[in-house]
Parts: sequence; C-alpha cells; structure tokens
Amino acid sequence: MSKPRVAIFDFACCEGCQLQIVNLEEEILDLIHVVDVVEWREAMSEQSHDYDIAIVEGSITRHEDELRLEVIRSRCKILIALGACATIGGVNKMKNNFDLNDVKECVYGKDAKMPHLNTDMTKAVDEVVPVDAYIHGCPIDRKEFGTVIRALLLGKRPPVPDYPVCVECKAKENVCRYEYNEICLGPIIRAGCGARCPSSNFRCFGCRGYVDHPNVEAAKEVMDKYGLTVEDLKQKMILFGSKQGHTL
Amino acid sequence: MCECCSGHPDIYLPQMATITKRRMLNGTELFLHLEMDSGQDLRYKPGQFVEVSLAGIGEAPISISSSPTQKGLELVVRNVGSLTKAIHKLQVGDKLGIRGPYGTTYPIEEAKGKDLVFICGGIGLVPQRSFIRYALDHRNDYGKIIVLIGTKCYSMRLFREEIALWQERKDMTVLETIDEAHDCWDGNVGVVTTLIPKIENELPGSLVLICGPPIMYKFVLISLAEAQVPEENIYVNLERRMKCGVGKCGHCQINDKYVCQDGPVFRYSDLALVPEAI
Amino acid sequence: MSVLKFTPKQFDDFVSAMLKTGRPVMAPQAKNGRFAFGPLASPADLRLDYDVTILPPKKYVLPQVETLLEFEVCGPCRSVQEGQPMILLGVHPYDLTAILQMDELFRQGQYDKHYMDRRCQITIIALDVVTPSANVFASSMGTATVRSGYDILLTVLKDGSILADVATAKGQELIRLAGSVVPASEADLKARKDVWEHNNAALNKHILLCKPSLLPKILEQNYNHPVWEEKARLCYSCGSCNQVCPTCYCFDVQDRVNWDLKTGHRFRCWDGCLLENFATVAGNHNFRKDRAARYRHRLYRKGKYVPEKIGGQIACVGCGRCISACTAKIANPVEVYNRLLQDTKLG
Repeated sequence: MSKPRVAIFDFACCEGCQLQIVNLEEEILDLIHVVDVVEWREAMSEQSHDYDIAIVEGSITRHEDELRLEVIRSRCKILIALGACATIGGVNKMKNNFDLNDVKECVYGKDAKMPHLNTDMTKAVDEVVPVDAYIHGCPIDRKEFGTVIRALLLGKRPPVPDYPVCVECKAKENVCRYEYNEICLGPIIRAGCGARCPSSNFRCFGCRGYVDHPNVEAAKEVMDKYGLTVEDLKQKMILFGSKQGHTL
Repeated sequence: MCECCSGHPDIYLPQMATITKRRMLNGTELFLHLEMDSGQDLRYKPGQFVEVSLAGIGEAPISISSSPTQKGLELVVRNVGSLTKAIHKLQVGDKLGIRGPYGTTYPIEEAKGKDLVFICGGIGLVPQRSFIRYALDHRNDYGKIIVLIGTKCYSMRLFREEIALWQERKDMTVLETIDEAHDCWDGNVGVVTTLIPKIENELPGSLVLICGPPIMYKFVLISLAEAQVPEENIYVNLERRMKCGVGKCGHCQINDKYVCQDGPVFRYSDLALVPEAI
Repeated sequence: MSVLKFTPKQFDDFVSAMLKTGRPVMAPQAKNGRFAFGPLASPADLRLDYDVTILPPKKYVLPQVETLLEFEVCGPCRSVQEGQPMILLGVHPYDLTAILQMDELFRQGQYDKHYMDRRCQITIIALDVVTPSANVFASSMGTATVRSGYDILLTVLKDGSILADVATAKGQELIRLAGSVVPASEADLKARKDVWEHNNAALNKHILLCKPSLLPKILEQNYNHPVWEEKARLCYSCGSCNQVCPTCYCFDVQDRVNWDLKTGHRFRCWDGCLLENFATVAGNHNFRKDRAARYRHRLYRKGKYVPEKIGGQIACVGCGRCISACTAKIANPVEVYNRLLQDTKLG
C-alpha cells in the first residue's frame, strides 16, 4: 500500500508549531517512514497539489488566505489544524477586539493603507473550512503530534482530551496556582499539554482553547473566593481567549 | 510475578475470534457471525454482552444477538465511532478480540411456562433476538411469544427476512411499526408504544422484556403501568459505557449498580432505588 | 510480631540499607513547599514530618498510566505485568486504609491481576501522622490510626526516636536490614499509645457530626437535596477531587500504536466521574450530563455505594486532599454530609 501523502501549509503564525515537527528529531524519521511529505515550505523546496492529508498551521486573516485554504481543503481527504493559531485563532485573535483600521495604523503606521497590507478579522481554520483533527497548543506538544498522526493513519479519532488542564496538573503534583492567589486558566482550558506551564511555575495561559462546556459562570464567583475579580480574569483571557465564544 | 497471582487469568486479555459471515442489515448496522479461534463456544446466555476489540483501535461492549442454542457468536455493530467504523471494514476471515461473556441474562428459567412480550426499539432488537431465538428453540418451555418492533424509518429495519419468517409462524405474534411513514410500507406507523394497545389483553401475567434507545424506556414503562403490568414482570436491558466489563472501571455505574455486572438485564422492580437507570 | 526502637541515626542507617538493596523506595519528600511521594535517593530527603502529600500513594498501586497489554495492530494481544518489588515508605494511616479498600475492590469479583500483582510486590511501611495537615479529618472517619494492613508501622515519639511495629513476614525480611536495634520498652509502647490517642482526636480540622457508619443511611434519604445543585453550580468539572482522592479508582482504557503502525499497547489511565464525558457512550449520549448529578455521584460513591460493595468501610478516609485541591472550594465532604445530617430525620 502506498504511503499517505502529507502537505504542510502555514498561514498567519510564527511557524513555531512546524518547528516542533522539525524538532521531533529521531521521530521525524519514523514519521517519514509512514507518510510521504510532498510539500513543506519550512523544510523542503518541493511543492505538490496531490496530497491526502493537509496540515494547516496559522490563522486566517485575509480574504485571499480563505481562498487558498478552500483550495487546500478541496485537495485533501483529512485536514489537520496545527497549533493554537489554526485551532482557535490564537494570539492573532486579539486584534478582533479592536477596530481594524486602528490595528493597521498601530502596526504599519503611515503604510497602513497599502493594499498588500490589507487584513481582515482573524479566523480559526474551522471558521473557514471543516477541520477533521486538531493538534492544539502554542506551541504544539510533539508527543501529542505523534499520537494524533498515528491515530489518523489508523483511521481512528485522535484522543484529544475534553477535560480541563487541572487533570494533568494534579497528575504532575503541582501546587495549584490559586494557592498562590494567582489566576490560572487551567480549570476552563482543554488539557493535553501535560500542564506544561503550571509544571514550570507559570499559570495556564489558555493556548489550547476552552473545554467544550467551560463553567464560565463559576469562574466569576470563584474569583471572589480568592479576592480576585472578573476583570483580572478577563485580562488573562485576552491573549488566547479573545472572541472564542464562552468569553466572560 | 507473585505466587498468588500466577493462577489467575488476565481479565483484560481478549481471545481471538474469526469472522465467518458478514452482511449489512441496513446502512449502518453490520451483522457478524464469529467463531472462537480456541474452537470452544463462548458459554453465554441470552442478554449478555461481550467486549469486542480491534487492537490498536479500541474496545467496546457489544450485545450478543445469537442464541446459545446455535453455533458461534452473532453480533450487530452500528457504525458510530472509530472502532465500529474499523469493524465495518473487516471481511470474512478477519479477526476480532473477544472478552466475556459478561453481565446478567434474561430470566430464561423463571420465564418458563410464561407468556413473553418483547418490546424492541431500533437496535434494541439485537439483544432481544438472542432470547427470542432461544425461546423459539425451546418452544414448548414458554407460553405465548409476542414481539413488538419499532424502527425509526423503513430503511433502518433490522433482520427483515428473519422477522418475515417469524410473522409466518403460528406460534408467535410479531407486530412491527416504523416512526416515519414510507411509500413501501403499509404496516403500522408510529412509535413502538402505539403497538401496545393492540396486545393489551396479553400483558397481564406476561413477562415483558424491553430494550431500545434511552428515550424509549420512559414511554414504554408509562404504557405498561397504565396496563397494570407489575414491575416484577418487567425486564429492561440497559446500555451504558461498559468500558472494562468486569466491574472495575466505574464508567457504567448507575447509582450503586454496575451495568456490566448487575446488568445489562435488570428486573424493573429492582431499579426502584436506582434513579439513574431510566 | 515485634516492636523495635530506632534512634534517628539508626533509622537513617536503616533507610540507607533499604536504598542499597536496589529496590525502589518511594517516600514523602518536599516539593514546592508541599510534599509528594517520589523515589528516595537519600535518607536526608525523607520527611517523616510531612503533613499530607499532593497525590496519595495510590499512584504506586494504581499508576496514572499502566500498560495492560501489548499487541499487533488488529491482531493478537499479550498480557503485560508491570509490577516490580518496591518499598512504600511513610504511608499515613488514612492512605493505608484507602489502599486496603482498593485491594478489596480489585480482588473481589473478577480478580484484577495487574493491580494485585503490583500490589503483592509492594512492602508498605506505614507512618503515624506527625504533623496534621490543614484539612485532615481522619479522626472523624476513624482512619487516624491503623492496627493492621501494613508490613511495618512507624511511630515517631516525642523524643525523636522511632518505633517500628513489624507485622508481616515481608516486614520481618526488611527489618533485618536494620542491624542491632533494641526492642521497645513498656514506656515506649505507652508513649506510642499516647500518639495514637492524640491522633485519634486531633486529626480533625473538619468535624463530621455523626458516626461515618450512618452516612449510607443519611445519603439514602437525600438524593434530591438542594445541596447537590447549590454546590455543583460552581463545579468546573475539572476532576481535581477525583485525581487527588486516595479511594478514587475509576479508569479509562486506551490503545496507542507505535510509529511502525503495526505494534502498540493498551493501557489504563486515571479517569474521574466529575469529568463531563465520564458516562458518555459512542454516539455521544451522555448518561450523566448534569454537573450536579456528577457531583452527587462522587459523594454517594464515597458514603454509600463503595461501602455497600466492600462491607461497610466508608470510602472517604478523611485525608482532606479534595478540600485543598478544589479551586471552587466546593468539594468538602464533611460540609455536605453535615448539611444532609442536619436535614435528616433518623429513625
């Protein structure tokens, strides 16, 4: 049986998640043993229109990108959203909190009106085309990348957690950030990262997006119990949680 | 390994079985006939289930649809998830892992001499078929056999040829209905409870066995209560997430009961203090 | 069998001798201002004065992730037994009680060889509590001290000396490493009794207002009590209470394949009944989709369902971990049970 053909594409992002794939090191040999990578701008010069699996990194911020993404979708059987920008819009969505003209001016100054710098509201990949699998995170977790890819190659739904980061944080025996009177987004954010940030003495920044049904109402009252406010919480949610729904 | 454990089998280890027949019953339901590679039949009774696994894809509980009076093991697998999708791709000669049989059985002994009313909704017919066939194979042991079958739509009807054969028999009554009218269907239209008034006179004294989707139980039980069927005479066959099948993992628990061990077949009167059941 | 008396120095030597055997010794050590069980490298890291560990030592009898089988994809499976000899040092009585319950749950009915084999190879050195934790209520649950179930029981006396009660052949074998220690005197045993009496009353930061044995009866009458909804309103469904609980043992089972896509393993991993999709079946029907129903289920399991399954012993051992771990501060079992008690007429 021929190996599935894989193409990797990037849109608005820092390309750090692709870098995580490069960083698979020995495992990358395992990867190319089971798939044919036919296009991957960051790692090779070949291009192809013929692929089974498209891995799409980055968020969609321009009309022409939407068109390009639709073409990719039409060519692949399985489309994987790679990393926070692709899965939830990521930090790029922060701009959706502002007037687009202000955003352009703030970034490009006097050049803001140049046509090639045009930009729309940021969208996650699944706001433009259907997505078959998600590899969450900013950046993605290399181990999870492997697990998701192998599951898909076997025709299996990838085991992406639908529970909050707290599950993995407790498993790591971290002291809860709230015990330090710090706001942590762990209780409402999808796990799968192995609670990487809390395990390094940071709060959860929320890069994997909300669980399916976050108890946002509880969050409001719980802040009180720690002498914190909803405003404090909202501020922490701007980075990855902007315009995702579920927002306070 | 420690001495006290060496004599015990691994309860999580599947035994291999080979697919000897397969056919689609409708667009989503695959019928499989299996033989255990060990050459020994599984010693199961009507109402029990097995854990079916395809190593690498996963494992799930599946009701047994055959009767122990026949050879081999018959299952019906609905295409709903990764595992069942993969099972649907298997062909005759391919292998599956089987653990079990697990769980309680229909009251095959207690039911002797009694009239039986089976109320089946959708794939609820699958486990009921086990007892129906068993009772037909021991026809003299049981009184009347009445089977009510409700299916959502015409194209999803299961075991059509077999039901047609049942309908021809003089020693059983089979009534069928579909929820949505269809051009090719001149039978009853409506949910399965609409069949109950037609056999109301048969209900007192009968054992009533129910299996269907979660929503069905409530309505059928109301109808049976109106018909004054005592709760001791009603049996339900429940579906839950029987992940381990051996009463450990906790997923199938309804209040204090483990569906994989205390069920899936429950006498309804035993569920009075189990509000999570229905 | 016998009770021996160690000076702190002799005890350190005993610990060193255990470490030299090469058998892993898991023991409480400091971690970020709290305590956690982990592989012990030196007696200096051992904290016999710990109050409570973030996770209970159940992680050694029922690991967070445990391989059950190895397989060929879509082919046959082979049983994997991961257990190996281990010394579990410094287990508090409430945690020991929880392990003993779990032993029964995995033994009874269908014998779980993966659990039992791992468990059989563990030698448990229990330890009477020296420092009560902020939320402990073991005194209320009758689990502040234990009289059996351990291989060795350590009690630290006021003068710093350590008594070791050797209860089993496994304990006996281990204590041989201790060299020449003296038997405890009558006065030492009296001092130990004082520790027990003290702990039986003092490990009680939250006071259950009834005998724990009444809990099944109280719960029986309060299935529809408003407290479930009131508390669960703030529940994040994060499962922290399940994760840190020494008596929670629910697990999920998953398959993982290797990069060759031909081989892999089936493993079980901790799950929790508070998590949203704990009772969801294929086809996405969730049989326990309300937060309140999941919240209630946990406290019924602790106070009624598991006790009825294993013969009476309440499945909350009063460690207080869930109280500390719950971000929303709604997990305190004593608060809920007392509230129900207050609204219950006991005949």
